Amino acid sequence: MSGSLDVFLARRWEDLVMLTLQHLAVVALSLAIATVLGVLIGLLVWDRNVPRTAALTAAGIAITIPSLALLALLSPVLGLGWAPTVVSLVFYSLLPIVRNTVVGLREVPAHLIESARGMGMTPVKTLLSIQLPLAWPVIVTGIRVAAQLTVGIAAIAAYVAGPGLGLYIFKGLSSLGSVNALNFTLTGTICVVLLALLLDGAFVLIARYSTSRGLRV
Amino acid sequence: MTVHTGQAPRLGLKRFTTPLAVVVALVALFAWLSSLTLDSIEQRTLNTSYLLDRTQEHVLLTVVSSALVALLAIPAGIAAYRVRSKAVRAFVIGLGNIGQATPAVGVVILLAIVWQTGFYTALISLVAYCFLPALRNTLTGLEQVDQATREAARGMGMTPRQVLWRIELPLASPVILAGLRTALVFSVGVATIATFINAGGLGDMIVNGLKLQRYPVIVVGAVLVAAIAVLIDWAAGLVEDLVRPRGL
Repeated sequence: MSGSLDVFLARRWEDLVMLTLQHLAVVALSLAIATVLGVLIGLLVWDRNVPRTAALTAAGIAITIPSLALLALLSPVLGLGWAPTVVSLVFYSLLPIVRNTVVGLREVPAHLIESARGMGMTPVKTLLSIQLPLAWPVIVTGIRVAAQLTVGIAAIAAYVAGPGLGLYIFKGLSSLGSVNALNFTLTGTICVVLLALLLDGAFVLIARYSTSRGLRV
Repeated sequence: MTVHTGQAPRLGLKRFTTPLAVVVALVALFAWLSSLTLDSIEQRTLNTSYLLDRTQEHVLLTVVSSALVALLAIPAGIAAYRVRSKAVRAFVIGLGNIGQATPAVGVVILLAIVWQTGFYTALISLVAYCFLPALRNTLTGLEQVDQATREAARGMGMTPRQVLWRIELPLASPVILAGLRTALVFSVGVATIATFINAGGLGDMIVNGLKLQRYPVIVVGAVLVAAIAVLIDWAAGLVEDLVRPRGL
């Protein structure tokens, strides 16, 4: 039933590269937005008990909501394509990033903050040159978890015409029974897996080179 | 993805804020729904029997697949642990990582293409998808048990089997249960996708609503799915706290 995979790949090579890049782009954009938002929320709540618990509980509940449900709710408001995709990817990325920001900031020893203050650092300076650098490895881990999550969710977003490899996965379904059905879904799925694994590997490097030099192991 | 790691047990009334919020949301949803005048297309899906059928399918798919995952993944995890071979361990962890990187929608649709569409295909792909995280949690949970504790148990004259049942499994149970809870929440989400391969569930409503551009249908489907996910996660958390050995 299935057409040969090498002919399929040869014909659609460029298409596949473009979809992979789109997939990467939407994930990267969403992660960038989620990192800024998540770290900000983390900074606002980490040292206050009630807001912290509220933020983490809300994010914990939010992440259980199935992605197709969220995408469907967003699409009548935001239309199809990039907008609902980016919003939902940011939504799911927030939990790991906020949680890890809070954990990272809470792990900074109190005496370090005190000595920074004692040296005459302002709270902002302490935050920027002591607390955030020390918490950063934990925050990056959060972003890495979010990356794994969003690569998979972005594939579902193709159902609301989101960008990326989900297009091929769904094309296989819509051409069920035709020669290339398996090829479409298989290549789409495998490319998503490869992208996720490559991105995970990239985060090892990002974590290493974005961590303050004195903290690198 | 380990979304759930041993949270401190919440006590008393606070424990019921989540289901209360869900009930409030559902009441608000149906109040809003009854204020609308539905056209014939909307009436076909927004009636009690249709909603109950879809919800039942959804919960059935989720619960059966999670039960199968528990039955398969925990013994497999114990076996992988007992073999005590680095190669088996690396294989399980590596496979777990690849499984985590695999998009659920890809697994579901691939299986539908190579086999058939329908409920059983959805069930099998759900089990396949949730098996790996549960397996990995079982393995890492057992490995986390302190070596000294294990030796002390041996020193007291326990056989390896007794050490497993009375020391290792109880100590690993929080991590194993957290893995199952993740599997449950995953399956609610993946069961939504099952609609693409004609396996029913509340995903039907979401997809129909999108196709026919009927916003009330989308909202009801999406809110019901979200409510199920949140409630199942909450119930699993409750069970986690109740089952956890007293001493922990």
